[in-house]
Amino acid sequence: MSAVDQVEGPLAGLRVLELADEKGQFCGKLMGDLGADVVKIEPPGGEAARRVGPFYEDIPDPNRSLSFWYYNTSKRGITLDLETADGRAMFGRLAAVADVILETREPGYLASLGLDYEALSYKNPGLVLCSLTPFGQTGPWRDYRSSDLLHMAAGGEMASCGYDEEDVPGAPPIAPGGGNAWHMGGHFAYMGILAALVSRTVSGRGQHVDCSIHEACALTTESAIANYVYRGEVLIRQTGRHHAAGPTPRTQFLAKDGKYVTALVGGRLNPKYVLELAELFDVFGFAHDLRDPKYQDPKAIAEMTPHIIDGLVASFIAGLPAEDVYHAAQERGFTWATVRAPEDLLEDQHLQDRGFWKEVWHPEIGRSFIYPGEAAIYNGSPWRISRRAPLVGEHNREILCGELGVSLGELCALTENGVV
Amino acid sequence: MSRPRALDGIRVVDFSWVRAGPWATRWLGALGAEIIKIEWPENERGRLPSSTTPHRMEVNLNTSGNFNDTNVNKKSLTLNVRSEKGLAIAKRLIAVSDIVIENFSSRVLQKWGLGYDELVKIKPDIVYVSMSGYGHTGRNHHYTTFGPVAQAASGLTFLSGLPGKPPAGWGWSYMDDTGGMYGAMCALTGLYHRNRTGKGQHIDQSQMVSAVPLNGPALLDLTVNGRGSKRAGFPPGNRAHWPGTPMVNNYRGPTVAPHNAYRTAPGGYNDWCVIVCANDDEWQKLVEVMGRPELRDDARFGTVAARLEHQDALDELIEAWTTTLGKYEVTERCQTAGVRALPVQSAEDRVEHDPQLAHRGMYQELDHAALGRHKVQNAPFRLSETPVFNHAASPLIGEHTREVVEGLLGFSHEDLRAGFDDGTFWPTKRQRLAYHEEMLR
Repeated sequence: MSAVDQVEGPLAGLRVLELADEKGQFCGKLMGDLGADVVKIEPPGGEAARRVGPFYEDIPDPNRSLSFWYYNTSKRGITLDLETADGRAMFGRLAAVADVILETREPGYLASLGLDYEALSYKNPGLVLCSLTPFGQTGPWRDYRSSDLLHMAAGGEMASCGYDEEDVPGAPPIAPGGGNAWHMGGHFAYMGILAALVSRTVSGRGQHVDCSIHEACALTTESAIANYVYRGEVLIRQTGRHHAAGPTPRTQFLAKDGKYVTALVGGRLNPKYVLELAELFDVFGFAHDLRDPKYQDPKAIAEMTPHIIDGLVASFIAGLPAEDVYHAAQERGFTWATVRAPEDLLEDQHLQDRGFWKEVWHPEIGRSFIYPGEAAIYNGSPWRISRRAPLVGEHNREILCGELGVSLGELCALTENGVV
Repeated sequence: MSRPRALDGIRVVDFSWVRAGPWATRWLGALGAEIIKIEWPENERGRLPSSTTPHRMEVNLNTSGNFNDTNVNKKSLTLNVRSEKGLAIAKRLIAVSDIVIENFSSRVLQKWGLGYDELVKIKPDIVYVSMSGYGHTGRNHHYTTFGPVAQAASGLTFLSGLPGKPPAGWGWSYMDDTGGMYGAMCALTGLYHRNRTGKGQHIDQSQMVSAVPLNGPALLDLTVNGRGSKRAGFPPGNRAHWPGTPMVNNYRGPTVAPHNAYRTAPGGYNDWCVIVCANDDEWQKLVEVMGRPELRDDARFGTVAARLEHQDALDELIEAWTTTLGKYEVTERCQTAGVRALPVQSAEDRVEHDPQLAHRGMYQELDHAALGRHKVQNAPFRLSETPVFNHAASPLIGEHTREVVEGLLGFSHEDLRAGFDDGTFWPTKRQRLAYHEEMLR
């Protein structure tokens, strides 16, 4: 172990219990990778999130879900049926010494088991309980069912994403991919939990955090709400670029290698910018007329904008590989980038320089795999994947016997009875 | 006595501008921290240009609606940090603060003498959060981003769209919002760590890099299974799977059908509703809601596999029903029966028509000195003991200069006047605003 490895993450010493499905597992990962001791408590047989693909070697198995692998790093896992008295009793003992409980069960479910905040905090007043649910603990939609797609619709994401009419006539609003409703909810839940923990360092008291994924999504559309509140505008959807009150110039151009480049040019054109564009084009010997003095007149630039963007910029990018355009443009101060697929990222040398990719050891397979790393480098208390996602019930013995003093015989009996 | 707030007594020096950084500090302010925003009117890029100034109102430094929503809960100090005197005042402020947040390009603040190495000498336990485009290390640290560029470079843009079409991407700077979230998360994490250990630190958050972990399952499919995302049927639009292409998971949950957006009455631009059936049971409920019980026995739709295969026919018959109803009506009928459905909502829908957001008090009005009374967005979480709320509209530029300089830092009124005259608190050649005259009297 190197010296750096011995420095603890910023959340070291925190015990987190996670009762979370696909809605909350990312938030638990955020805490675990920053050093918290996260114990994931799954129903016997494992969380439904284990049934989400893709699977390792495309063989479906609760221990081979890559989605589960990714979202459950740096956690230990036990199985407990909270609907049994034995399960509740063991949960209660774990809860009595936990700092944080993160739960995503239906509103009222924990209370129906006698596990609401009042009961849980009675013997543990410092406890922070975060309920991260689709719509929060109150309101007319409280018990509505949801999914990532549903949240992208009601949150406003879809109303802002789609295509220009000439690209895809009659296109529907398009929900961005990747399961980002859970990310949005997880980010805000993390913020609420950390705020409660900071508060606890002063007051000694915990509290209940009621976090709504719908509200998190509804907050995450940049200026759309302000455009409506201040100007009454409802925005249109455009291919690969910002929603807007009316059509704006394209920003996504096809490069020679079939990749796209995002080139933010519209709204930025002025005489200086035009000359800088000319210099960029000249590096690659691209024929153009941008050095013509007529472009030093802002009025002429305004008139010639379609020629510059849809003609010159588009042709320039069409003649080169996307990454060549990206780096040449950025080196000259242009805020442009390649539209990369995941497979393009592994080669990114900047990410390599930052040590972004992590090797994570899978003892059950006998090899390690490459995982994405940290959003931010904590220079005083490092982010780290401490272990791969737990197998189903992997730490039952370690935690139930090791910490709660359940004997091996009792553990066998509890397993036979479906408690663990 | 008012109830305590989570971040009572915490002071944040906020050098951030445009969107991502200010979005971060906005939340720290809602949690009760005192946010002192350092601004300079000559190179301000969050207040201007403004495309959210109300019609018939002059566009100026104090009339951007989006700035207002992004900068609630803050004080504004105008300070020329690039002068020796201004730099000294900034350091005096940092010496009595807990957190510094900045979102300049990498190494700009270091060049001004405000890097972590300098600030730790003034305030040893300072929590210093840098929010830059590409981070402070790595060969491309000097590259610049706006949201769309961070989204493109990180793989986020590619994962959204219809198969065989250009990426639809994200219709806004998702990574300004999300980069802002990470800025706030880093600040809270650093603060928690400081309170426990007494140690501050520098946290180097990158907008582009922060977006990459949001593609986790797609990246593991690549690194573990060797499967890239440039493949037939990906991305599958709003569906979980595109018919006629290889059956592989598309990184948005289980592979099921129906899973799509459907037009609703009266057929306007945002008259759409999404419906998802996660299993056979939900599908059976949906056919009842649609008044098409005969579909129960239709072999084309009887199993998940069959529905996935016959999605075109499936979507067509669902849309034949949804187009007869409004999107809120479809939602209510489906949800009452236990079927997953929600309306596509525009900003207007969210503010005016969403009963859940209304119930939860998502948009509450605040008075702003120039813009008047308007709704601003509230936090999506409730803390039972330390309330989270917006307590003030965004500041006018330099509105709190006197309060901070005299009240907090203990300079005299004559010092304040001298600082206005020598260009420390306002550019000498720039017209002062009415409230400047007031504070200088």
